[in-house]
Amino acid sequence: MKAQQNGRGSNDAPHGCENDRLSGRLLAKFVPLNVRASETEDGMTVVPARPSEWMSPVTSQEPASAIIEINHVSQVFQTSARKDHLALSDISLTIEEGAFVSILGPSGCGKSTLLYIVGGFVSPTSGMAKIRGHAITAPGPDRGPVFQEFALFPWKTVLGNVMYGPRQQGVRTAEAEAQSRALIEMVGLKGFENFFPKELSGGMKQRVALARTLAYHPEVLLMDEPFGALDAHTRTRLQNDLLNIWERDRKTVLFVTHSVDEAVFLSDKVVMMSKSPGRIRQVIDIDLPRPRRRNELLLDPQYQKYVVDIERMFDESDEAGAPT
Amino acid sequence: MMMSPAVLTRRAAPVLACIGLLAVWQVASLALKNDSFPTAVEAVRAIPDILGDKESLTNILASLRRMAIGFGVAVLVSIPLGLLMGRSRAIAAFFNPLLMVIYPVPKAALMPIIMLWLGVGDVTKTLVIFLGVSLPVIYHSFEGAKAVEEKMLWSGAAMGLSPAQRLVRIVLPAALPEILTGCRTGLVLALITMITSEMIARQSGAGNILFNALDMGQYDTVFAMIIIVGAMGICLDAIFERVRARLVRWSEPQFDMPLSFS
Repeated sequence: MKAQQNGRGSNDAPHGCENDRLSGRLLAKFVPLNVRASETEDGMTVVPARPSEWMSPVTSQEPASAIIEINHVSQVFQTSARKDHLALSDISLTIEEGAFVSILGPSGCGKSTLLYIVGGFVSPTSGMAKIRGHAITAPGPDRGPVFQEFALFPWKTVLGNVMYGPRQQGVRTAEAEAQSRALIEMVGLKGFENFFPKELSGGMKQRVALARTLAYHPEVLLMDEPFGALDAHTRTRLQNDLLNIWERDRKTVLFVTHSVDEAVFLSDKVVMMSKSPGRIRQVIDIDLPRPRRRNELLLDPQYQKYVVDIERMFDESDEAGAPT
Repeated sequence: MMMSPAVLTRRAAPVLACIGLLAVWQVASLALKNDSFPTAVEAVRAIPDILGDKESLTNILASLRRMAIGFGVAVLVSIPLGLLMGRSRAIAAFFNPLLMVIYPVPKAALMPIIMLWLGVGDVTKTLVIFLGVSLPVIYHSFEGAKAVEEKMLWSGAAMGLSPAQRLVRIVLPAALPEILTGCRTGLVLALITMITSEMIARQSGAGNILFNALDMGQYDTVFAMIIIVGAMGICLDAIFERVRARLVRWSEPQFDMPLSFS
């Protein structure tokens, strides 16, 4: 019975068409080659929000392939009768495989909405988001969300939460449990396997949420202000730990935040957004060495310059307002 | 096992309350000297007579059976309906007005009509119990399902759960504390509608014993039956509460102490 379930799970792979995926990857590989001219002396790339002009590979020598493409996405919300709010206006963005990309902007700029569109949780009013060349129409295990609100299953223990995804994917209980225990240890929660979410602090909950999402091996992590609800100390610890974890397998990460420090510290690329309507202002490559260590980075003049420059750019725009 | 003084006090408190009530009753009854108000001792003495009588026992068991069926069917129907209403605006828009109309109507008021259609037997009484239990259970399931965090459902969707799976495996457990609150109210209402239905359509049951005794002026039996029904209510509620506490251990407030560790 279990073996049968297992077999069914592996047959139902999320992507049906292997050929399309390959051709999408090949196409994406060739696109960036002719658009690398935008890098400036100090290693910082400041480019306009037109996709054709700023699409450049992150920092690696080999051109990375695009995993997510967002093409002319707009989102209109109906706020009240006959009153429409343009949350996102004509957003185009390409995320390369293995890149850590932050979407930075003031609250209300639609940055979370953009993430939800990539997640398939929200359908854009117009335009389209694609993963590996496939249009995104629904959520799927290839894109794993981590929310500010944790969204853990409170009736499941820490272990139960982390095992949920693999079990759903048809992994056998014993195997799922072994993997989940390893992940729980990796996020620093060994010994808490049988605790319920209610017994954990905010930081611990977010660690569980991260482990739960990593457990089903999504290709892309979608992090929606994951550390926004945590106190400053906890937030720093989690940022450090997230980087350590990320540096092991370099999953593609799309990270929404309103903290400039956080975006610069974590990312390869920062997408700056302005609000009303939500637009991409600028995309900035963060050319800082990895692995990044917080205590070194904070003293690094280049890091400081990124932070100050980005803050200044937000200050300059009247309509956007500075992100806090 | 040794119990701490605090636990001992907590366990003893309800017993003391009951004894206190009986004492007040006894004193009041002796002071009033009214034929239709027997003393507590007389009423308590009548209890073994009722429980020892085969016919009375059959009556009480018949009541409990109707109650169990009415309650069980109501819960089985109401929880899915409430959950669907909580997650689908269209379904809620359809059922809400209907339920709003039925909610304030005392279910016993519908009995005469139901009796005309279905007679005075088990079906009618069970149906009335069903109606009495359904509404609070639907309402609480609805509220519980509505309150389920959207992000929790999204997390499930990302793991590959279909909408139906999300309803059963996320909405249902997430709403369970609220659902069980509704069921607890429903259980008490089941007992109330059970007695009321037997008052209106007398034939068998605990209510039948009570009101027959009343007609015949056997007031000690009347009060003994009231004690029995009350005791049944307390027992059922206590059993239910145990089950409930077990099922929603994860949401109980004694766990409200987060550990200080990030």
